[in-house]
Amino acid sequence: MLDKVNRGLQLLSMIALVLTAFVLTYSVVSRYFFHAPTDWQDEASVFMLVGVTFFSTAYVQYHRGHIGIEAVAGLLPRRVNAVRLFVVDVVSALFCAFFTWKSWALFHEAWVDGQTTSSTFAPPLWIPYSMMAAGMTLLTLQIVLQTLARMTNKPESEHAA
Amino acid sequence: MTDLTLGALYGAVTLVVMFSGMPIAFALGVVATGFMYFFMPSSSLDTITQNVYEEMASITLLSIPLFILKGAAIGKSPAGKDLYSAIHTWMHKVPGGLGIANVFACALFAAMAGSSPATCSAIGSAGIPEMRRRGYSPGFAAGIIAAGGTLGILLPPSITMILYAVAAEQSLGRLFLAGIGPGVLLVVLFAGYAVYRAHKEYKMALDIYQKGGEKSAYLVDEHFTLKQKVEMLPRVLPFIVLLIGVMVALYGGFATPSETAGLGALLALVLLAVIYGVWKPKDLSPILASSIKESTMLLLIIGMSLLYSYVMSYLHISQSAAAWVVSLHLSKWLLLTVILLMVVVFGFFLPPVSIILMTAPIILPPLKDAGFDLIWFGIVMTVVMEMGLIHPPVGLNIFVIKNIAPDIPLKDVIWGVFPFLVLMFVAVVLLCFIPSIATGLPDMIMGVK
Amino acid sequence: QTTTLKISHQFPGGTLTEGDFRDRMTRMFAAEVEKRSKGSLKFAIYPGSSLMKTNAQFSSMRKGALDMSLVPLSYAGGEVPEVNIGLMPGLVTSYEQAYGWKNAEVGKELNRILLEKGIVLVSWIWQAGGVASRTKPVVDPDDAKGMKIRGGSREMDLILKAAGAAVVSLPSNEIYAAMQTGAMEAALTSSTSLISFRLEEVSKALTTGRAGAYWFMFEPLMMSKAIFDKLTKEQQAAIMTVGAELEAFALKSAKEDDQAVANVYQKANAKVVDLNPAALKKWQAIARTTAWKDYGEKNANCAKLLALAEKTL
Ligand code: NA
Ligand code: NA
Repeated sequence: MLDKVNRGLQLLSMIALVLTAFVLTYSVVSRYFFHAPTDWQDEASVFMLVGVTFFSTAYVQYHRGHIGIEAVAGLLPRRVNAVRLFVVDVVSALFCAFFTWKSWALFHEAWVDGQTTSSTFAPPLWIPYSMMAAGMTLLTLQIVLQTLARMTNKPESEHAA
Repeated sequence: MTDLTLGALYGAVTLVVMFSGMPIAFALGVVATGFMYFFMPSSSLDTITQNVYEEMASITLLSIPLFILKGAAIGKSPAGKDLYSAIHTWMHKVPGGLGIANVFACALFAAMAGSSPATCSAIGSAGIPEMRRRGYSPGFAAGIIAAGGTLGILLPPSITMILYAVAAEQSLGRLFLAGIGPGVLLVVLFAGYAVYRAHKEYKMALDIYQKGGEKSAYLVDEHFTLKQKVEMLPRVLPFIVLLIGVMVALYGGFATPSETAGLGALLALVLLAVIYGVWKPKDLSPILASSIKESTMLLLIIGMSLLYSYVMSYLHISQSAAAWVVSLHLSKWLLLTVILLMVVVFGFFLPPVSIILMTAPIILPPLKDAGFDLIWFGIVMTVVMEMGLIHPPVGLNIFVIKNIAPDIPLKDVIWGVFPFLVLMFVAVVLLCFIPSIATGLPDMIMGVK
Repeated sequence: QTTTLKISHQFPGGTLTEGDFRDRMTRMFAAEVEKRSKGSLKFAIYPGSSLMKTNAQFSSMRKGALDMSLVPLSYAGGEVPEVNIGLMPGLVTSYEQAYGWKNAEVGKELNRILLEKGIVLVSWIWQAGGVASRTKPVVDPDDAKGMKIRGGSREMDLILKAAGAAVVSLPSNEIYAAMQTGAMEAALTSSTSLISFRLEEVSKALTTGRAGAYWFMFEPLMMSKAIFDKLTKEQQAAIMTVGAELEAFALKSAKEDDQAVANVYQKANAKVVDLNPAALKKWQAIARTTAWKDYGEKNANCAKLLALAEKTL
């Protein structure tokens, strides 16, 4: 289930990334060839790229793509190492859960107050905040799943995950 | 607890959490949030997400994914292989020729991008496998790209220089020009080292082979006729078109720097579609997926490191350290040495942007009073901060390499990077003895200050 | 027992006696309040956005996570639409009018609204602005026709569009590079920022606001109400009195910068012109039907503030 959501979001992120390149190019073309400047390209791009970042973060975690320093892994006995990995995952999950909670709070505030950016285009801020909150929610779930998998599986099988 | 004791505690806890193996992004967030909880008013915790968002919601920072996409479009497609084959046919007689080519490629990309990790990723994604395929040791290949990538903030345009110019109230135009000389100096030093190291590795490979060992790719003797060489030239064309297209858009006033990022990425995709027929979703998806993976990893680290530096700034740690250094009333050159050492230490944990924002207001006035030219110091400080990008624990370029070439052990990357750190140190010393390496060009073009 | 208050702002850092007057003002404020509170209040000043991003300051103050900030009020326009009145082109045309707001109905109403949002107005600071251009000076609205200009705010952009300009939006740290390459031809901002961005190096013309301007920006020194309420009566009084006393310094410095910017651009061989009353009227006429109208229609508070502000014209 989470897997499918992640894949779907990954596809969406790819489209958004290419779309951003189009939007920024369009703004150059529109200004120079049609003398019709756009004022929404920067913020539209920021929103899309914020979306790309947070929507992909769970997928990156799925592949353990958030890089850490694994220098001590080789120095510790196997059992201690397993404990270390478990603690790292639990603390990461707690932090991400906290961040998720505060992201939804931020979203709620922006939604209730009708906050926008302060530009001419003035798009509502709940859009990027909701993407941040949703992305962090998935990331938290992903880490929790991986932690549970670590508890039930033998340490070796992690590398396959 | 004094600010400095608190600072030492902050640094120590950071080191422990990072070396626990926790992903860097989470580690920075965990430490920052923990210190917020214990040492800051509880309302601070309510602002963490907004702070991270405000830091990330800048088009300047978010152009990084687009620069990475542009690099991946070339690097992870047949275009990259063709480019490197062409360079190889022309430069295979020169020892370290491919290494030199990579250093130059980094410099050229640096002139289009304002960030170092983006430069590193763009050139490295094709550069590292190509160098390794031709026998270069993994650490050496990684070192060239990590170090070459740092040129992103020294050669204009540069995000960090923009911030420095504002903080130091110096001319940005002058600062940009001042970066070019030292940029060229580093290119020469890096290229020179590439020749030396490749020659050494070649001799070692030869030695092993003669003793009956494995035959390294270094030893493959190839000959290309002039005809073959000329035939390879059109393969460089897409890269040249991209380079010229982006440079004209940026320096010709057609596009703002952030628009250039989008334009470059799209142009790269178009060239790929037109020349190599790579346009189907199936073909594009690996390029897009790797760009997204890498930029997500980086942006999350950058976002969290800005939260980390917010806590550091709130607790007055960096400011107190800087103020303490200033209060020692050191002689001119000792003051400079201590300040640069401090920048190195901050470079352990912080990206250049944060170092400038937090320390510039405190260290610049005494440096100015001591008689240092602030344009010159801006360049020296940039080179020192470049070193921070390639030394652990937080070295954004190292993480990029780790992502491009996950099979190279971190230890090899760090050892591979080490000689380049020494070369950068040499560059700093040279800059101290011959300041005109930096100030010569702006003085020539804009007149002596 | 001493309380240390943090003051954050986005301007270049200096000392008590040198540098950007907005930074100097926070330092003078800190020194004087510390003295009058007999050391019970101390301050840490964070210049150049070295604590947090400019846009995060207002909302952090509302939440009580930041004590004080000196920031253009209209930056918070997305969060609290009423504050856009702080940069409403043509609505304020002289320093005399600007500083009259504090004791006029419009000032009292603005004060009330901000208190309701958790913000205490400590010191009223206004600044005039001008236009730097890499081609010809922008005086009349007609001059802006077809030019690539950065207005820098929603309201200014609306007016520029109505005047036929090609409005460019880009972050302030890209202004210099964009002016240099020509991606942008002109920019509007305060006199002090026109100096600190060093746009004279890439400009050929400057329109100053020293003889009156349609661009007046309100950038007060503000404090978090949550923090303010926790202080003793004496401390609160010290803060408010010193804040009010420093307004004279702000006025004098802003006027000096309007003059200084002309000198800086003259020295750089740029053509320096002043805005004339006839041109000002034209800009004001456009503003009335675009930016003012847009603002007045936002909500009842905005309509009321606008009506009260028009009374001061
Ligand atoms: Na660059
Ligand atoms: Na580092």
